[in-house]
Amino acid sequence: METNKEQELAEIRKRLKELLVTNLNLEDIKPEQIKDDEILFGEGLGLDSLDAVEIVVLLQRNFNLDVKNKTEGKKIFYSVDTLARYILENRKK
Amino acid sequence: MNIAGMGVVFNRGRGVQSLEKALKEGWVPPGDSTYSVPADTLKDKSVLKEMRRADDFSKMACLAAYDAFTDSGLGNGVKSSLGIILTTAFGPHVTTFRFLDDILNYGDDNVSPTTFSHSVHNAAASYIAFMLGARGPTLTVTQFVYSFHQALIIAQAWLLERRCEYILVGSVDQCGTVMEYICRQKLHLAEDGKIKPFAFSQTPCAVPGEGSAFFLVTEGKTEKHYCSVLAQAVGTPDMYLLDSDGMVGDERCYLKIIKGGIPVTSYTPIFGSMLTVTSFSCAAGALMLKNQQSYAVPVQDNPHGLNLCRMQGSAAIKNISCVRYGCKNDRLEIFLKQ
Amino acid sequence: MQSGNVVISGMGVISACGKNIRETLDTFASGRRNISKVTLFETKLKYPVFEVKGLSGSDGESMRTLELVFTAVKQALEDSGLEDKLNDFRIGVCLGTTVASQLNDTDFYNEYKNTGNASLRSVERYLKGNLAEAVQDKIGASGLACTVVNACSSGTDAIGVGLSWLRADLCDIVICGGADELNRVPLAGFGSLGAMSDSLCKPFDKERSGLNLGEGAGVIVIEKEEICRKRGKKTELFIKGYGLAADAYHLTAPRPDGTGLEAALARAMDEAGIKPSQAVFVNAHGTATPDNDLVEGKVLSRVFGMGLKFLSTKGYTGHTLGAAGGIEAVFTAVGLREGWIPQSAGFRKADDEIGISPVTQKTAISGQYAISTSLAFGGNNSAIVIAKG
Repeated sequence: METNKEQELAEIRKRLKELLVTNLNLEDIKPEQIKDDEILFGEGLGLDSLDAVEIVVLLQRNFNLDVKNKTEGKKIFYSVDTLARYILENRKK
Repeated sequence: MNIAGMGVVFNRGRGVQSLEKALKEGWVPPGDSTYSVPADTLKDKSVLKEMRRADDFSKMACLAAYDAFTDSGLGNGVKSSLGIILTTAFGPHVTTFRFLDDILNYGDDNVSPTTFSHSVHNAAASYIAFMLGARGPTLTVTQFVYSFHQALIIAQAWLLERRCEYILVGSVDQCGTVMEYICRQKLHLAEDGKIKPFAFSQTPCAVPGEGSAFFLVTEGKTEKHYCSVLAQAVGTPDMYLLDSDGMVGDERCYLKIIKGGIPVTSYTPIFGSMLTVTSFSCAAGALMLKNQQSYAVPVQDNPHGLNLCRMQGSAAIKNISCVRYGCKNDRLEIFLKQ
Repeated sequence: MQSGNVVISGMGVISACGKNIRETLDTFASGRRNISKVTLFETKLKYPVFEVKGLSGSDGESMRTLELVFTAVKQALEDSGLEDKLNDFRIGVCLGTTVASQLNDTDFYNEYKNTGNASLRSVERYLKGNLAEAVQDKIGASGLACTVVNACSSGTDAIGVGLSWLRADLCDIVICGGADELNRVPLAGFGSLGAMSDSLCKPFDKERSGLNLGEGAGVIVIEKEEICRKRGKKTELFIKGYGLAADAYHLTAPRPDGTGLEAALARAMDEAGIKPSQAVFVNAHGTATPDNDLVEGKVLSRVFGMGLKFLSTKGYTGHTLGAAGGIEAVFTAVGLREGWIPQSAGFRKADDEIGISPVTQKTAISGQYAISTSLAFGGNNSAIVIAKG
């Protein structure tokens, strides 16, 4: 069961990285170059406030997820990994 | 007011050198049915380095504005007193339609904020200010027929008020697929791909174009001075440079201004039909005055027997009047003087 | 450059507060906030908005924004006594907008996408809808006409352009301000940015959660004092100064240190020849978004001191985008003339991070100068100084 979950998480991370590169127009970086624990804002990918709201839409469209609470949002959006785990735990099929 | 630097982005490339090359080469047929800006022209990672999200509308404007600034050779010291005036007829409509795609495909509650942010008319000017670090006054205006004239008038007024000492003033317009469709319905598109600026027809032919042209203007003359520019008619010029491009409808009124055998020219067949083509005409005129060169008219059809500028070469030109007629027999001129 | 004063000889306004100045003052005095759900178009979005009710209704041939601006222009021209005298002067028209400049008709685009063909009816409407050109045609003027599209500071910047035209002696009289209709595109767009509130907005409040959109038009007639005097029109209101400065920071977020707004204020006050202490009140931009109010509030506190009387009228009108600067110029001038400003609707709890709070009740003011500020998407900052007497 755990292996399945890990596999699912890995798939989500992969897909997430692809979506981040495409939807946020990230230049000079390929999805496979983004680390699993890459920090999204500030350092790491260096995303900004406009990217944050774009990620909210990305989650809605691709994973059927809403992030309404801003405080909750800060924790979820910390890194690729935290975002992927949130998707794994909450996505509606 | 004086032009200290210029930058252009258009179908034939980017920069004053591309402009000069195009003016020398003359008319070439449009790629498909429009004079669109090639995608490669908008690739410049160093200038556009922090603009990964920018749409083509903003990129065109930024590259033209950046080139005008660097062309002037004035350096970073002027940025604290650098204003920006951007004019457009239709704004970033390609991005607006992309936003409507979102509304139609995903619903009002699932649209892209990035797309929305770029559909706002003043996004391009905001990017220019950001790119250059220009903290002066920044304005975006929109007009259908006389957009560039309005921008120049405001620039003159700002310099008079000492609102700033230097201004990047320019235009940008796109022609996306929806606009092409609208042009096909509303205009007479030239079957042979040639705008005929001297036909002065009641139903003139157009070939839609797109691009951006910017000028760095200031009160005094600078080292790289092109010419002085005034947004009004000033007496009789050495040459008339016409904006007739089939975009505004009936062009018979252009015949009114042609008198006394004064040489006439027009380069709209190179740029394509745009409501903002005036800025490109001014760029061509400014180059002629700086280089003391004339460029042969790219399309020589001349049913009214005008004294057309047919030769390329040295020419003693002191001043040029850029003329545009509107839909109501009204006219505005921009006077360029050596 | 022409020296000499520029007067405000006429004003007109329409918004959710009321269809004219008198109705607006009634709404201000009562503190009433005319919020509703969206009724003007189909949307699944449930944000509360400030619609103008009871507009006569366009014939479908022209945009709603034109109806709004024609209403305000008519009032302003009547107020200025110029309705039948326009031919005697060089008239300029400079108006700000956002929606009216966009070709954003969803039905047209949907039809085109699905069939490759579409009726051009909405395109024709759009081509006749350049705000300044349309007003110029309507009133039969033939001088300068310019539409400013500087996002949320468009109305203020249109007034600034009008002022520049007068100083350059390009016109004798300028009709200026702004107008915008409530529209699906900005509603969806600002919603996606997380900038909208699900409840009544609370400008400068500690618990503010975003803006409410609104619609309307605010127009003023400005002219050289000597022209106004010669034609026998009495007025006690003046435009004394205007400032515009860019943040050059970010497409959607304001510069955190507020230096762009500070520069705009400095220029406006310098043109007016006044010190900050002479401003009896400020009509702030105050959209009720966390970022805007924080930056703007801190700047107001820094520049004018803790004792400043200020308010946001967006608690009564919503954020009317391109119309805001025009509407708020009218409100600022009227406030000076009437000698009072309303409470800053929606404000209850002070935000210590901002450090300054707006007026919480109807407040008497007396003095000569007031200021209206606007901060725009894309980082434009504008300020105008209006004077009485």
